[in-house]
Amino acid sequence: MSLPDLSGGYAPLWCGAALFAWGLVAILGCCARRAVSFLHPLLTGLGSLVLLYLALTGGTASFALPLPFFLGDAGLAFTIDPLSRWFLGIIGLIGCALAGFTPGYLAHLRTRLSLGFVWAALCVLLISMSGVVLAGNAISFLVCWELMALSSFVLVAADHEQQAIRKAALIYLGATRVGTAFLMGGFLVMHSLTGSWTFADWHVSGAVALLPAVLIFIGLATKAGCWPFHLWLPIAHPAAPAPVSAVMSGVMLKTAIYAMVRLFVLGDHLTHPALGPFILILGAISALWGVLFALLQHDLKRLLAYHSVENIGIILMGIGVALVARQYHLALLAQVGLAAALFHTLNHAVFKSLLFFGTGAIDAQTHQRDVEHLGGLIHRMPWTAAAFITGSAAICALPPFNGFASEWLLYSGFFGLATTGATVGLRLGALLLMGWLALVGALALACFVKAIGVVFLGLPRSKAAESAREAGRGMVAAQVLLAVLCAAFGIAVPALLRPLSAITAPLNAGAALAPVWTLPIPLLAALLVALVGGASLLMHTLATRQPTRRYITWECGFGTLGPRTQYSATSFAQPISRLFGSLYRYAVAIRVHGTRRRHFPDAIDAGATHEPYLETRVYRPLLRNLQRVAGMLLMRLQAGSIHQYLFYIALVLLLLLWVGCR
Amino acid sequence: MMLTMLLLLLVNLCVVPLLLVGVIRKVKARMQTRIGAPVLQPFYDVAKLLRKGETISETASWVFVQAPRINLAVALLVAVLVPWYGLTLPPGWAAASNLLLILYLLALGKFVSLLAAMDTGSAFGGLGASREATISLLVEPAVVMGLGALAVATRSLNLSEVFTQPIHPLVALLVGVALVITALAELSRMPVDDPTTHLELTMVHEAMILENSGRNLALVEYAVALRSCILLGLAAQALLHAWPALHAFPPPAQYGIGLAALGVTGIAVAVAEGVLVKLKWRRVPHFLAIAIVMSVMAALLAVAQR
Repeated sequence: MSLPDLSGGYAPLWCGAALFAWGLVAILGCCARRAVSFLHPLLTGLGSLVLLYLALTGGTASFALPLPFFLGDAGLAFTIDPLSRWFLGIIGLIGCALAGFTPGYLAHLRTRLSLGFVWAALCVLLISMSGVVLAGNAISFLVCWELMALSSFVLVAADHEQQAIRKAALIYLGATRVGTAFLMGGFLVMHSLTGSWTFADWHVSGAVALLPAVLIFIGLATKAGCWPFHLWLPIAHPAAPAPVSAVMSGVMLKTAIYAMVRLFVLGDHLTHPALGPFILILGAISALWGVLFALLQHDLKRLLAYHSVENIGIILMGIGVALVARQYHLALLAQVGLAAALFHTLNHAVFKSLLFFGTGAIDAQTHQRDVEHLGGLIHRMPWTAAAFITGSAAICALPPFNGFASEWLLYSGFFGLATTGATVGLRLGALLLMGWLALVGALALACFVKAIGVVFLGLPRSKAAESAREAGRGMVAAQVLLAVLCAAFGIAVPALLRPLSAITAPLNAGAALAPVWTLPIPLLAALLVALVGGASLLMHTLATRQPTRRYITWECGFGTLGPRTQYSATSFAQPISRLFGSLYRYAVAIRVHGTRRRHFPDAIDAGATHEPYLETRVYRPLLRNLQRVAGMLLMRLQAGSIHQYLFYIALVLLLLLWVGCR
Repeated sequence: MMLTMLLLLLVNLCVVPLLLVGVIRKVKARMQTRIGAPVLQPFYDVAKLLRKGETISETASWVFVQAPRINLAVALLVAVLVPWYGLTLPPGWAAASNLLLILYLLALGKFVSLLAAMDTGSAFGGLGASREATISLLVEPAVVMGLGALAVATRSLNLSEVFTQPIHPLVALLVGVALVITALAELSRMPVDDPTTHLELTMVHEAMILENSGRNLALVEYAVALRSCILLGLAAQALLHAWPALHAFPPPAQYGIGLAALGVTGIAVAVAEGVLVKLKWRRVPHFLAIAIVMSVMAALLAVAQR
């Protein structure tokens, strides 16, 4: 892709300035109440276009800001290369869709939220994410990382008058604090090992690499939502407004993937032989765990949040394949694994944002996210339904949509390991992981059939669902755009493999990825469309002779069917839940009321319960004990007396003076 | 040569699938000492259904109307792509017979059929869809690992290349049996599902398509026949490749042998249906676990003797 360079070689600098200006105007503009409704969507759209422009034309460059911008030990330095451009492209793409979707969505929250504030935080979030993927040294990275964490916290807490949301936001804040602490620890160790903050100078391998690698991995995995650090995801996503969930799940999680690729995979910055298998196994567990818990959720956004855990797992499996293959000097497979991970990152951003937009549109129109109270929306919100079904097909990796392309690359990475791996264990493991991925795929399919079937098909289960209307134009346009991209990225795979080749080439002596992709998807898609068209033509011809009759659904002669006679989400998931019952302590409780008349009870109700026992059995006791110990230690220090605090401040000042004079 | 191939392909698409269903029904009837319907009855049924009018539920949307068409299109496409002993795809098409592409195309067909079942708001549809989804998640890993084992043994993911190379008999046998078991489940056959009971509550596939009628049902029936042909065909070919002397035959004979193998597999399914009882729903995972274990064993053998 070649766009004209209008800046005389300084495109990255101008774009940087534009981003800065965007942030400044967005923050200042949030006070101007009247301007918010058009200024901020416009700014977001333009800023995202700048990001896309930078992603397409940025080339490779690195620059540091001049002296006043100095952060103690290192300057604010930024580097742009193919990898950061790939992620900038993702941010820009979702930013554009966001600019279309958000105004319509926020309209129904107008009385509850301060719109200017939300918009400003959203803009800061987009800019700080760009900063994260552009950062050239650890300090700039951490500054942008923190800005990103804080702005997203503000967005999660946007509707802070509800207690549940305040609690969710605090849990999210806690998770980001822990993550950053680990990340900082890792960076400090790396600094002490290499004496530099610049990523390009970091080259650590062997046994000493284990500690920083583990610290950095935990820090990043907490942000990415990898098992077992995923606990904030299903709590924070339902609390945040839908566009915020979309950008957090679609893009923000991916900044952690970016950092993993940057530090662990490319450029030999941090290498340890245990890292590959470790990431591969955690990814595999994440994928299954995420989709299994998604299946049980009734809150549409929580369901999607668990699917983020699943997809992050799939991405991590790609990274794991790359690392393991590199370790065994299988250069091509390393390249394929990394390409699969990065491609899936883009794809997940597109279809997950699309699905969150769909959920947001439903939420805005019906004020309802519990699937058991929805139904029949395909007749009332046809565009949203069609887009949601497309996104679901993509996330289930069905051809010809984009999810299939990246999962196919991952499968071929596994297949390569299974044929050319050095040991029997590695080969068998890779082949079993193919089966594992198939299981995850089948579970995802079941989960999305459940979601679509209960939300969009059948009869409405509540008044709100019955009286729903199609979402506004901007919301529909954003969804249609992303749905089209789902199909386009699935069909035009070679065009996307070109930038991926540029990123992954260092792993395979500069080779291109194009020969790996052999499937004639465009041809097959055309054939599929032609066959469906042919079948439709046949049906229409036959229909002229024998017209179609509309009649009620068959009810066995028992009288009209209602919403309550339909299959519910709980019942749909029940057989699968029972299969994996021991994993989530699944139980069905049936209560019979009015047992005096034994065979004719007054009422029977049934409900299914499950326990996310990583949370209840591991994290809760851990946190409780931590609180107790901290309480015992800190109660004496933090006594709440102002004199005591003044004394501490004086003590710290003296300490600093002493350190400075020495 | 090209023309013969095209002709045989057309036979495969139009004649073999419904014939297979007819043969299975006939054999089953004979096992039950009935005379049974003519072998060509499925053709008459489809022709009759195509001429009939169609009744659609008032609750249904475009999903219900389009799903059988998409499902049929996918089944036709896969039936072309899937390798068939004695039939070779044109050279440029080998990559399209990629095993994962084929499995995920079949999954696309299943996705739309499941949605169509949920579309009418009937409890039977939901019940069938839920059970079908459960079965498919048990089947999918077995199929991927089983065919993956064959692919590893022959070092190619393209099924058309997999089935032109000699495979270790034991691997082929294990995968073949695993595929027969999974095909029984996927095709809603005994002992997983009974296609002939009178009670919808006990069915999986028939509960899903309860609302389809007339020409819509004709498409569904044809797609199911194609899927039977594809899945049993794959199983038959895997079993066939346990026979080392196979590759010496000339192409026309190869086609005949392939057809015979499919027929024998079909008859085996019918016999199984005659002598087995339907499993309790909760026992189905145990039955499918056999297939998964066999696939894992095949995988172990394939990677060990690579």
